[in-house]
Amino acid sequence: MLGIEDCLTEVMAIPGALDAILIDQTSGTAVATGGGGRLLDAEKSAAGLSETLRATLDGLAVASPGGTVRINDMIITTDGGYHLLKPMDTVFDGPLVIYVRLDLERSNLALARHRLQALSDRPITT
Amino acid sequence: MPSVEIILNGLAADHATGSLSLGKAGILYLTGGRVTYAESATAPRVEDLLTAGRGIPAHTVRQARQATTEETPGGELLVRQGALTRGELEFCVLSAVLDAAFFLFGSAGHRPRFRPGERHWLGPQWYFEVTGLLRECRRRETRLEQAWPSAELDTSPVVPLRRITAQRVVLTSLQWEVLVCADSSATPVDLARRLGRPAYSVLLAVRQLASCGLLRVPRPAPESGAEPAPDDPDDLGAPDGRANPAPDDPGTSDGRAEPAPDRPDGRGAARATTVPPATPAGPAPAASAVADPLPRRTRGATEFPDAGTGSPVRTDRFPRATGDPTDVNLLIRLRNALEALT
Repeated sequence: MLGIEDCLTEVMAIPGALDAILIDQTSGTAVATGGGGRLLDAEKSAAGLSETLRATLDGLAVASPGGTVRINDMIITTDGGYHLLKPMDTVFDGPLVIYVRLDLERSNLALARHRLQALSDRPITT
Repeated sequence: MPSVEIILNGLAADHATGSLSLGKAGILYLTGGRVTYAESATAPRVEDLLTAGRGIPAHTVRQARQATTEETPGGELLVRQGALTRGELEFCVLSAVLDAAFFLFGSAGHRPRFRPGERHWLGPQWYFEVTGLLRECRRRETRLEQAWPSAELDTSPVVPLRRITAQRVVLTSLQWEVLVCADSSATPVDLARRLGRPAYSVLLAVRQLASCGLLRVPRPAPESGAEPAPDDPDDLGAPDGRANPAPDDPGTSDGRAEPAPDRPDGRGAARATTVPPATPAGPAPAASAVADPLPRRTRGATEFPDAGTGSPVRTDRFPRATGDPTDVNLLIRLRNALEALT
Protein backbone atom coordinates (compact mmCIF):
# COMPACT_ATOMS: atom_id res chain seq x y z
CA MET A 1 0.00 0.00 0.00
CA LEU A 2 1.81 3.04 -1.28
CA GLY A 3 1.46 6.63 -0.21
CA ILE A 4 2.67 9.64 -2.13
CA GLU A 5 5.97 9.83 -0.25
CA ASP A 6 6.61 6.10 -0.67
CA CYS A 7 5.98 6.46 -4.35
CA LEU A 8 8.64 9.15 -4.54
CA THR A 9 11.06 7.09 -2.49
CA GLU A 10 10.69 4.28 -5.00
CA VAL A 11 11.31 6.66 -7.88
CA MET A 12 14.49 7.89 -6.20
CA ALA A 13 15.57 4.25 -5.78
CA ILE A 14 15.82 3.89 -9.56
CA PRO A 15 19.54 3.55 -10.37
CA GLY A 16 20.97 6.88 -11.49
CA ALA A 17 18.02 8.98 -10.28
CA LEU A 18 19.11 12.53 -9.40
CA ASP A 19 15.87 14.32 -8.57
CA ALA A 20 12.21 13.54 -8.83
CA ILE A 21 9.07 15.63 -8.67
CA LEU A 22 5.48 14.51 -8.49
CA ILE A 23 3.38 16.96 -10.46
CA ASP A 24 -0.33 17.53 -10.66
CA GLN A 25 -0.69 18.05 -14.40
CA THR A 26 -3.93 20.04 -14.42
CA SER A 27 -2.81 22.74 -12.04
CA GLY A 28 0.96 22.42 -12.49
CA THR A 29 1.41 21.96 -8.75
CA ALA A 30 4.46 20.25 -7.29
CA VAL A 31 2.86 17.63 -5.08
CA ALA A 32 6.09 16.26 -3.64
CA THR A 33 9.79 16.30 -4.39
CA GLY A 34 12.58 13.83 -3.88
CA GLY A 35 16.34 14.09 -3.85
CA GLY A 36 16.20 17.85 -3.17
CA GLY A 37 19.29 19.40 -1.64
CA ARG A 38 20.30 20.65 -5.05
CA LEU A 39 19.26 24.08 -6.16
CA LEU A 40 15.93 22.99 -7.55
CA ASP A 41 12.90 25.22 -7.47
CA ALA A 42 10.25 22.54 -7.37
CA GLU A 43 7.33 24.87 -7.96
CA LYS A 44 8.81 26.53 -11.02
CA SER A 45 10.01 23.18 -12.36
CA ALA A 46 6.60 21.62 -11.89
CA ALA A 47 4.87 24.48 -13.69
CA GLY A 48 7.37 24.33 -16.55
CA LEU A 49 7.30 20.56 -16.86
CA SER A 50 3.54 20.34 -16.90
CA GLU A 51 3.59 22.96 -19.62
CA THR A 52 6.13 20.85 -21.53
CA LEU A 53 3.89 17.83 -21.36
CA ARG A 54 0.84 19.85 -22.33
CA ALA A 55 2.58 21.34 -25.36
CA THR A 56 3.79 17.90 -26.43
CA LEU A 57 0.28 16.48 -26.07
CA ASP A 58 -1.17 19.32 -28.14
CA GLY A 59 1.46 18.93 -30.82
CA LEU A 60 1.08 15.18 -31.02
CA ALA A 61 -2.70 15.38 -31.04
CA VAL A 62 -2.58 17.62 -34.09
CA ALA A 63 -0.05 15.37 -35.78
CA SER A 64 -1.78 12.06 -35.11
CA PRO A 65 -4.39 10.76 -37.54
CA GLY A 66 -7.22 10.41 -35.06
CA GLY A 67 -6.56 13.72 -33.36
CA THR A 68 -6.39 12.08 -29.96
CA VAL A 69 -3.28 11.06 -28.11
CA ARG A 70 -2.26 9.36 -24.89
CA ILE A 71 1.31 9.61 -23.74
CA ASN A 72 2.69 6.63 -21.89
CA ASP A 73 5.97 8.23 -21.07
CA MET A 74 8.17 10.95 -22.45
CA ILE A 75 11.94 10.78 -22.62
CA ILE A 76 14.09 13.83 -23.16
CA THR A 77 17.83 13.43 -23.53
CA THR A 78 20.04 16.38 -22.72
CA ASP A 79 23.80 16.83 -22.35
CA GLY A 80 23.49 16.24 -18.62
CA GLY A 81 21.18 13.27 -18.52
CA TYR A 82 17.79 11.80 -19.19
CA HIS A 83 14.53 13.40 -18.17
CA LEU A 84 11.57 11.11 -17.87
CA LEU A 85 7.97 12.23 -17.61
CA LYS A 86 5.45 9.56 -16.77
CA PRO A 87 1.75 10.49 -16.54
CA MET A 88 -0.30 8.34 -14.21
CA ASP A 89 -4.06 8.28 -14.34
CA THR A 90 -5.83 9.19 -11.16
CA VAL A 91 -9.51 9.28 -10.52
CA PHE A 92 -9.64 12.66 -8.89
CA ASP A 93 -7.80 15.29 -10.77
CA GLY A 94 -5.52 13.46 -13.09
CA PRO A 95 -3.13 12.91 -14.41
CA LEU A 96 -0.39 12.96 -11.86
CA VAL A 97 3.02 13.09 -13.49
CA ILE A 98 6.24 11.58 -12.20
CA TYR A 99 9.26 13.52 -13.35
CA VAL A 100 12.68 12.03 -12.78
CA ARG A 101 16.10 13.23 -13.88
CA LEU A 102 18.63 10.48 -14.47
CA ASP A 103 22.40 10.55 -14.64
CA LEU A 104 23.59 9.98 -18.22
CA GLU A 105 26.40 7.60 -17.24
CA ARG A 106 25.02 5.72 -14.29
CA SER A 107 21.46 5.08 -15.39
CA ASN A 108 19.73 2.47 -17.47
CA LEU A 109 16.90 3.99 -19.42
CA ALA A 110 15.08 0.71 -20.02
CA LEU A 111 15.21 -0.22 -16.36
CA ALA A 112 14.00 3.21 -15.33
CA ARG A 113 11.04 3.03 -17.70
CA HIS A 114 10.20 -0.43 -16.46
CA ARG A 115 10.26 0.70 -12.83
CA LEU A 116 8.09 3.71 -13.56
CA GLN A 117 5.60 1.54 -15.39
CA ALA A 118 5.42 -0.88 -12.50
CA LEU A 119 4.99 2.00 -10.10
CA SER A 120 2.25 3.69 -12.08
CA ASP A 121 0.22 0.49 -12.02
CA ARG A 122 0.14 0.49 -8.28
CA PRO A 123 -0.23 3.37 -5.90
CA ILE A 124 -2.49 6.28 -6.64
CA THR A 125 -4.00 4.85 -9.75
CA THR A 126 -6.87 2.46 -9.77
CA MET B 1 -10.73 42.51 10.68
CA PRO B 2 -7.42 40.74 10.11
CA SER B 3 -7.14 38.77 6.89
CA VAL B 4 -7.13 35.00 6.76
CA GLU B 5 -3.47 35.03 5.81
CA ILE B 6 -2.40 37.00 8.88
CA ILE B 7 -4.41 34.75 11.21
CA LEU B 8 -3.01 31.63 9.59
CA ASN B 9 0.55 32.87 9.83
CA GLY B 10 -0.03 33.58 13.50
CA LEU B 11 -1.47 30.10 14.10
CA ALA B 12 1.44 28.56 12.23
CA ALA B 13 3.90 30.41 14.42
CA ASP B 14 2.10 29.08 17.53
CA HIS B 15 2.05 25.51 16.17
CA ALA B 16 -1.65 25.54 16.84
CA THR B 17 -3.99 22.58 16.45
CA GLY B 18 -7.67 23.15 15.82
CA SER B 19 -10.16 24.51 13.33
CA LEU B 20 -10.40 28.00 11.87
CA SER B 21 -13.98 28.66 10.86
CA LEU B 22 -14.61 31.34 8.25
CA GLY B 23 -18.37 31.52 8.62
CA LYS B 24 -20.27 30.45 5.54
CA ALA B 25 -17.17 30.52 3.35
CA GLY B 26 -15.67 27.40 4.84
CA ILE B 27 -13.28 26.03 7.41
CA LEU B 28 -9.59 25.19 7.80
CA TYR B 29 -8.10 22.56 10.10
CA LEU B 30 -4.59 22.85 11.47
CA THR B 31 -2.40 20.24 13.10
CA GLY B 32 0.74 21.49 14.81
CA GLY B 33 0.69 24.76 12.88
CA ARG B 34 0.30 23.10 9.51
CA VAL B 35 -2.88 22.99 7.46
CA THR B 36 -4.21 19.46 7.23
CA TYR B 37 -7.66 20.05 5.84
CA ALA B 38 -9.72 22.80 4.26
CA GLU B 39 -13.28 22.98 3.12
CA SER B 40 -14.90 25.70 1.05
CA ALA B 41 -18.53 26.25 0.20
CA THR B 42 -17.47 26.70 -3.43
CA ALA B 43 -15.23 23.69 -3.99
CA PRO B 44 -16.30 20.04 -3.79
CA ARG B 45 -15.42 18.47 -0.44
CA VAL B 46 -13.30 15.36 -0.01
CA GLU B 47 -16.51 13.39 0.47
CA ASP B 48 -17.77 14.64 -2.89
CA LEU B 49 -14.51 13.73 -4.60
CA LEU B 50 -14.56 10.27 -3.04
CA THR B 51 -18.13 9.50 -4.02
CA ALA B 52 -18.43 11.30 -7.37
CA GLY B 53 -14.89 10.86 -8.64
CA ARG B 54 -13.80 7.60 -7.07
CA GLY B 55 -17.18 5.92 -6.99
CA ILE B 56 -17.03 4.98 -3.32
CA PRO B 57 -20.58 4.47 -2.01
CA ALA B 58 -21.76 7.40 0.07
CA HIS B 59 -22.78 5.16 2.97
CA THR B 60 -19.26 3.71 3.22
CA VAL B 61 -17.95 7.22 3.72
CA ARG B 62 -20.71 7.98 6.21
CA GLN B 63 -20.03 4.83 8.20
CA ALA B 64 -16.34 5.60 8.36
CA ARG B 65 -17.18 9.08 9.54
CA GLN B 66 -19.43 7.81 12.31
CA ALA B 67 -16.98 5.11 13.39
CA THR B 68 -14.19 7.66 13.75
CA THR B 69 -12.58 7.68 17.17
CA GLU B 70 -9.75 9.61 18.77
CA GLU B 71 -7.17 6.90 17.97
CA THR B 72 -8.37 5.85 14.53
CA PRO B 73 -9.38 8.72 12.28
CA GLY B 74 -11.84 8.09 9.47
CA GLY B 75 -9.19 8.16 6.78
CA GLU B 76 -7.38 5.28 8.44
CA LEU B 77 -10.65 3.30 8.54
CA LEU B 78 -11.34 3.86 4.84
CA VAL B 79 -7.86 2.65 3.92
CA ARG B 80 -8.15 -0.37 6.22
CA GLN B 81 -11.51 -1.29 4.74
CA GLY B 82 -9.87 -1.28 1.34
CA ALA B 83 -12.18 1.41 0.00
CA LEU B 84 -9.13 3.14 -1.42
CA THR B 85 -5.36 3.06 -1.11
CA ARG B 86 -3.35 5.39 1.08
CA GLY B 87 -1.92 7.13 -1.96
CA GLU B 88 -5.38 7.75 -3.36
CA LEU B 89 -6.59 9.19 -0.09
CA GLU B 90 -3.53 11.41 0.29
CA PHE B 91 -3.85 12.71 -3.22
CA CYS B 92 -7.57 13.23 -2.83
CA VAL B 93 -7.10 15.26 0.36
CA LEU B 94 -4.25 17.16 -1.25
CA SER B 95 -6.30 18.26 -4.23
CA ALA B 96 -9.31 19.07 -2.08
CA VAL B 97 -7.27 21.21 0.33
CA LEU B 98 -5.47 23.13 -2.42
CA ASP B 99 -8.78 23.65 -4.15
CA ALA B 100 -10.65 24.84 -1.07
CA ALA B 101 -7.77 27.06 0.07
CA PHE B 102 -7.83 28.84 -3.27
CA PHE B 103 -11.42 29.93 -2.72
CA LEU B 104 -11.08 30.52 1.04
CA PHE B 105 -8.23 32.99 0.71
CA GLY B 106 -10.16 34.94 -1.89
CA SER B 107 -13.32 35.14 0.23
CA ALA B 108 -14.21 38.09 2.43
CA GLY B 109 -16.85 39.34 4.85
CA HIS B 110 -16.66 36.47 7.30
CA ARG B 111 -15.77 36.39 10.97
CA PRO B 112 -12.83 34.04 11.50
CA ARG B 113 -13.06 31.97 14.67
CA PHE B 114 -10.49 29.52 15.96
CA ARG B 115 -11.52 26.49 18.00
CA PRO B 116 -8.47 24.88 19.58
CA GLY B 117 -8.22 21.09 19.57
CA GLU B 118 -10.90 20.43 16.98
CA ARG B 119 -9.99 17.89 14.31
CA HIS B 120 -11.44 16.80 11.01
CA TRP B 121 -12.86 13.27 10.97
CA LEU B 122 -10.51 12.09 8.20
CA GLY B 123 -7.49 12.81 10.34
CA PRO B 124 -4.32 14.40 8.98
CA GLN B 125 -3.40 12.90 5.61
CA TRP B 126 -1.17 15.58 4.19
CA TYR B 127 0.54 18.56 5.82
CA PHE B 128 0.77 21.97 4.17
CA GLU B 129 3.06 24.71 5.41
CA VAL B 130 1.00 27.90 5.57
CA THR B 131 3.50 29.92 3.52
CA GLY B 132 3.67 27.24 0.85
CA LEU B 133 -0.10 27.04 0.66
CA LEU B 134 -0.43 30.80 0.27
CA ARG B 135 2.25 30.84 -2.41
CA GLU B 136 0.55 28.05 -4.32
CA CYS B 137 -2.76 29.90 -4.21
CA ARG B 138 -1.16 33.02 -5.62
CA ARG B 139 0.43 30.98 -8.39
CA ARG B 140 -2.93 29.47 -9.25
CA GLU B 141 -4.45 32.93 -9.35
CA THR B 142 -1.90 34.15 -11.92
CA ARG B 143 -2.37 30.99 -13.94
CA LEU B 144 -6.08 31.70 -14.16
CA GLU B 145 -5.36 35.28 -15.18
CA GLN B 146 -3.05 34.12 -17.93
CA ALA B 147 -5.60 31.72 -19.38
CA TRP B 148 -8.34 34.33 -19.70
CA PRO B 149 -8.18 37.60 -17.83
CA SER B 150 -11.86 38.04 -17.01
CA ALA B 151 -13.51 36.53 -13.94
CA GLU B 152 -16.92 36.90 -15.56
CA LEU B 153 -17.07 33.29 -16.73
CA ASP B 154 -16.42 31.92 -13.25
CA THR B 155 -19.96 32.52 -12.07
CA SER B 156 -22.06 32.42 -15.24
CA PRO B 157 -23.40 29.28 -16.97
CA VAL B 158 -21.05 27.51 -19.34
CA VAL B 159 -22.50 27.67 -22.84
CA PRO B 160 -20.51 25.92 -25.58
CA LEU B 161 -20.91 27.41 -29.04
CA ARG B 162 -22.91 25.30 -31.44
CA ARG B 163 -20.71 26.18 -34.36
CA ILE B 164 -17.13 27.36 -34.28
CA THR B 165 -14.93 28.84 -36.96
CA ALA B 166 -11.90 26.72 -36.12
CA GLN B 167 -11.43 23.68 -38.32
CA ARG B 168 -9.69 21.64 -35.68
CA VAL B 169 -9.70 21.81 -31.94
CA VAL B 170 -7.36 20.16 -29.43
CA LEU B 171 -8.89 19.54 -26.00
CA THR B 172 -7.59 18.13 -22.76
CA SER B 173 -9.61 15.36 -21.19
CA LEU B 174 -10.96 17.68 -18.52
CA GLN B 175 -12.03 20.24 -21.13
CA TRP B 176 -13.87 17.44 -22.88
CA GLU B 177 -15.67 16.49 -19.68
CA VAL B 178 -16.66 20.10 -19.15
CA LEU B 179 -18.06 20.43 -22.66
CA VAL B 180 -19.96 17.16 -22.47
CA CYS B 181 -21.47 18.05 -19.12
CA ALA B 182 -22.27 21.69 -19.93
CA ASP B 183 -26.03 22.15 -20.32
CA SER B 184 -26.10 25.94 -20.72
CA SER B 185 -27.35 26.39 -17.17
CA ALA B 186 -24.61 24.90 -14.99
CA THR B 187 -21.87 27.22 -13.76
CA PRO B 188 -18.26 25.99 -13.52
CA VAL B 189 -18.77 25.29 -9.81
CA ASP B 190 -21.88 23.19 -10.52
CA LEU B 191 -19.95 21.28 -13.16
CA ALA B 192 -17.10 20.63 -10.75
CA ARG B 193 -19.48 19.09 -8.25
CA ARG B 194 -21.20 17.01 -10.92
CA LEU B 195 -17.93 15.75 -12.36
CA GLY B 196 -16.27 15.23 -8.99
CA ARG B 197 -13.35 17.39 -10.09
CA PRO B 198 -11.72 20.20 -8.15
CA ALA B 199 -13.43 23.52 -8.81
CA TYR B 200 -10.17 25.27 -9.66
CA SER B 201 -9.35 22.78 -12.42
CA VAL B 202 -12.78 23.23 -13.93
CA LEU B 203 -12.48 27.01 -13.66
CA LEU B 204 -9.16 26.85 -15.47
CA ALA B 205 -10.55 24.54 -18.14
CA VAL B 206 -13.50 26.87 -18.72
CA ARG B 207 -11.26 29.89 -19.08
CA GLN B 208 -9.01 27.99 -21.48
CA LEU B 209 -12.02 26.95 -23.53
CA ALA B 210 -13.13 30.57 -23.64
CA SER B 211 -9.74 31.74 -24.82
CA CYS B 212 -9.92 29.14 -27.61
CA GLY B 213 -13.26 30.65 -28.64
CA LEU B 214 -15.36 27.59 -27.86
CA LEU B 215 -17.69 29.14 -25.29
CA ARG B 216 -20.19 31.91 -25.50
CA VAL B 217 -18.88 34.87 -23.59
CA PRO B 218 -21.92 36.38 -21.81
CA ARG B 219 -21.42 39.92 -23.07
CA PRO B 220 -18.42 42.16 -23.49
CA ALA B 221 -16.97 43.06 -20.11
CA PRO B 222 -18.19 46.50 -19.02
CA GLU B 223 -14.77 48.14 -19.02
CA SER B 224 -13.65 46.70 -22.34
CA GLY B 225 -17.06 47.27 -23.93
CA ALA B 226 -17.04 50.92 -22.94
CA GLU B 227 -13.45 51.49 -23.87
CA PRO B 228 -13.49 51.82 -27.67
CA ALA B 229 -16.04 54.62 -27.70
CA PRO B 230 -14.18 57.29 -25.76
CA ASP B 231 -10.90 56.00 -27.12
CA ASP B 232 -11.42 56.80 -30.74
CA PRO B 233 -14.40 58.78 -31.97
CA ASP B 234 -13.66 57.88 -35.62
CA ASP B 235 -14.29 54.27 -34.82
CA LEU B 236 -17.70 54.87 -33.29
CA GLY B 237 -19.79 53.76 -36.24
CA ALA B 238 -18.70 50.19 -35.99
CA PRO B 239 -18.99 49.38 -32.28
CA ASP B 240 -22.26 51.17 -31.71
CA GLY B 241 -24.16 49.22 -34.28
CA ARG B 242 -22.70 45.95 -33.17
CA ALA B 243 -22.54 46.01 -29.43
CA ASN B 244 -26.30 45.62 -29.09
CA PRO B 245 -27.29 42.57 -31.13
CA ALA B 246 -24.96 40.38 -29.11
CA PRO B 247 -27.12 39.87 -25.98
CA ASP B 248 -30.51 39.87 -27.73
CA ASP B 249 -29.76 37.29 -30.32
CA PRO B 250 -28.24 34.08 -29.05
CA GLY B 251 -28.67 32.43 -32.44
CA THR B 252 -26.26 34.71 -34.22
CA SER B 253 -23.68 34.56 -31.48
CA ASP B 254 -22.93 30.98 -32.37
CA GLY B 255 -20.14 31.86 -34.74
CA ARG B 256 -17.18 33.46 -33.10
CA ALA B 257 -13.90 34.88 -34.16
CA GLU B 258 -11.00 32.55 -34.79
CA PRO B 259 -9.60 30.67 -31.82
CA ALA B 260 -6.24 31.21 -30.25
CA PRO B 261 -4.03 29.33 -32.73
CA ASP B 262 -5.21 31.42 -35.67
CA ARG B 263 -5.03 34.68 -33.85
CA PRO B 264 -1.49 35.76 -34.66
CA ASP B 265 -2.02 35.40 -38.40
CA GLY B 266 -5.33 37.19 -38.45
CA ARG B 267 -4.12 40.05 -36.36
CA GLY B 268 -0.88 40.37 -38.26
CA ALA B 269 -2.69 40.63 -41.57
CA ALA B 270 -5.17 43.13 -40.23
CA ARG B 271 -2.44 45.28 -38.84
CA ALA B 272 -0.63 45.49 -42.17
CA THR B 273 -3.64 47.07 -43.83
CA THR B 274 -4.43 49.49 -41.08
CA VAL B 275 -1.09 50.97 -40.15
CA PRO B 276 -1.19 53.96 -42.54
CA PRO B 277 -4.14 55.82 -40.99
CA ALA B 278 -2.94 54.97 -37.53
CA THR B 279 0.16 57.07 -37.81
CA PRO B 280 -1.40 60.51 -38.35
CA ALA B 281 -4.14 60.01 -35.79
CA GLY B 282 -1.62 59.71 -32.99
CA PRO B 283 -1.60 57.27 -30.11
CA ALA B 284 -5.35 56.82 -29.70
CA PRO B 285 -6.06 54.16 -32.37
CA ALA B 286 -2.90 52.31 -31.51
CA ALA B 287 -4.00 52.16 -27.90
CA SER B 288 -7.45 50.90 -28.80
CA ALA B 289 -5.97 48.25 -31.06
CA VAL B 290 -3.97 46.95 -28.16
CA ALA B 291 -6.60 47.43 -25.51
CA ASP B 292 -9.66 45.81 -27.02
CA PRO B 293 -8.78 42.77 -29.05
CA LEU B 294 -11.30 40.72 -27.07
CA PRO B 295 -14.48 42.78 -27.47
CA ARG B 296 -13.65 43.20 -31.12
CA ARG B 297 -13.51 39.51 -31.73
CA THR B 298 -16.80 39.02 -29.98
CA ARG B 299 -18.53 41.70 -31.97
CA GLY B 300 -17.16 40.40 -35.23
CA ALA B 301 -18.46 37.02 -34.26
CA THR B 302 -21.98 38.12 -33.53
CA GLU B 303 -22.06 39.73 -36.93
CA PHE B 304 -20.51 36.81 -38.65
CA PRO B 305 -23.67 34.97 -39.78
CA ASP B 306 -25.38 38.16 -40.99
CA ALA B 307 -22.43 39.42 -42.92
CA GLY B 308 -21.87 36.13 -44.66
CA THR B 309 -18.11 36.48 -44.90
CA GLY B 310 -15.58 37.72 -42.45
CA SER B 311 -13.69 40.10 -44.67
CA PRO B 312 -16.10 43.07 -45.03
CA VAL B 313 -16.64 43.04 -41.31
CA ARG B 314 -12.98 43.13 -40.63
CA THR B 315 -12.15 46.06 -42.92
CA ASP B 316 -14.72 48.50 -41.57
CA ARG B 317 -13.89 47.69 -38.00
CA PHE B 318 -10.55 49.45 -38.45
CA PRO B 319 -9.96 53.10 -39.35
CA ARG B 320 -10.25 53.83 -43.06
CA ALA B 321 -7.08 53.76 -45.16
CA THR B 322 -6.12 57.21 -46.40
CA GLY B 323 -3.17 56.62 -48.69
CA ASP B 324 -1.59 59.93 -47.64
CA PRO B 325 1.86 60.09 -49.32
CA THR B 326 3.58 61.25 -46.13
CA ASP B 327 2.28 58.19 -44.32
CA VAL B 328 3.38 55.95 -47.11
CA ASN B 329 6.83 57.49 -47.02
CA LEU B 330 7.05 57.05 -43.30
CA LEU B 331 6.02 53.43 -43.62
CA ILE B 332 8.59 52.75 -46.29
CA ARG B 333 11.29 54.28 -44.11
CA LEU B 334 10.11 52.22 -41.17
CA ARG B 335 10.17 49.08 -43.21
CA ASN B 336 13.67 49.80 -44.51
CA ALA B 337 14.88 50.45 -41.00
CA LEU B 338 13.39 47.21 -39.75
CA GLU B 339 14.89 45.28 -42.62
CA ALA B 340 18.27 46.81 -41.92
CA LEU B 341 17.98 45.62 -38.34
CA THR B 342 17.49 41.97 -39.18
